[in-house]
Amino acid sequence: MRPAIATGTSPAAGKARRRASLGVSYEGRDPDLLRRMLPHVDYLEVTPETISEMNGDELVLSPEIMAELRNAAGAVKIVVHGVSLSIGSHEGWSPTYLRLLDSLLDQVDVVWHSEHLGYTKVDGEHLGIMLAMPKTEQALDVVSERVRKIQERYPIPFLIENIVHVVPDCPGDYSDAAFLNALAERTDCGLLLDAYNLECDEHNHGFDIPAFLDQLDASRVRELHVACGVEHNGFLLDVHSRLPRPSTVVLARQVVNRAAGSVRAVVYEFMPEAVPGLGRDAIAEELGRLRAAFES
Amino acid sequence: MLSLIRNGNRGGPDDDAYLRRVSESGDLKEARRNIFLWRIYVLERTCVLTFALLGQLHLLDESVADFIAHHNISPFRETQGPAFLEGLSGHREPLIASVARFELALSRVRQGDPRRHVVPWSVDPRPVLNALARGLPVDVEADACACRILVSRDLPFLFEVVFSPAEERV
Repeated sequence: MRPAIATGTSPAAGKARRRASLGVSYEGRDPDLLRRMLPHVDYLEVTPETISEMNGDELVLSPEIMAELRNAAGAVKIVVHGVSLSIGSHEGWSPTYLRLLDSLLDQVDVVWHSEHLGYTKVDGEHLGIMLAMPKTEQALDVVSERVRKIQERYPIPFLIENIVHVVPDCPGDYSDAAFLNALAERTDCGLLLDAYNLECDEHNHGFDIPAFLDQLDASRVRELHVACGVEHNGFLLDVHSRLPRPSTVVLARQVVNRAAGSVRAVVYEFMPEAVPGLGRDAIAEELGRLRAAFES
Repeated sequence: MLSLIRNGNRGGPDDDAYLRRVSESGDLKEARRNIFLWRIYVLERTCVLTFALLGQLHLLDESVADFIAHHNISPFRETQGPAFLEGLSGHREPLIASVARFELALSRVRQGDPRRHVVPWSVDPRPVLNALARGLPVDVEADACACRILVSRDLPFLFEVVFSPAEERV
């Protein structure tokens, strides 16, 4: 039996139940930003690789940032979202990522963790970008087995996220939604749906979002991401540099409605490099708006 | 796919139809450009002095492209910077080599490296570093001098410029 993420399906007596809680990404070393964000969120999402630093030749979690997380853990729940596991690499995933994750879980309580349905390395070589998995039966077998191993290794729920398709899709046996459904059904993992990624694919490749949502088993979705990037050379880029667009929030709300209570958190992602341009106050205000948007 | 992404090598008629489709797609060109821009973005923030110098010498794009093509480094900011600086520490242009070595040594010492690093310079480093730190043009034709920068945790400001006896400045 896989560890479950409690869903908010039972309204508390005499009180409106929030449809989905709000979370925000944080990469550390900005206590002023953190102080402003915490009142608006229930979850803090961290990425092991981006809260690390080189110690000699070894990548280790930053002691300074880990102290921040321990302090914040009294006010919010911590969730982890990795980017370098490369679960789809044919030669195997990244041991460095797992070492960082091990260390993180040793130091703070984490409610669930997630990674991307993709790969960033080929034959040990970094691509410098993440590519989507081919949606073949063979790929499903490989990823399913690795998800099971992750679940055996860590006694907390594991979610898989849909990623942007940066190159044309390899011909496969499944649609995007069917592949996610099959993976979730085989492994009982949860899904993390990135609403802005869907919009990027729609803009860049004519991806049919309504058809995708119709086919997706939304009851498997436990977390949503909202974010915003830039348009360059006619392409929408998933670079997490702006406040979410209204269309992204609308799309996320649609998914929350379809999921009928299974979504536990909607997380706003942004890069720390975007903070000076966005402004800390604006980010906090946006979190307030998002919190209201996802309350019933 | 690795070759397409990293080097943009266009396939031949015998290649798999899917790989041919990818190689001819605008998506691949955009993806490779994004990889390049991300590297630029990270290096600009983690290798400030060296990045500025390369820009002034119009060698930035060439250096980053070479770095991407020939170094298997994680794109994260924590690992890219040191690898980029290390690669430039042997650059054919002595000024680039010195600035990169200095910046690398400084970052290591700031992270706790207990060793004393010695960075040789063929020109007076002070006006060079001052210009780079302030975004001003570097005088690449500055008079030659034999000196070095010592970088160590036990030094005030973590580094000290040392001239050979004949080059001592007041």
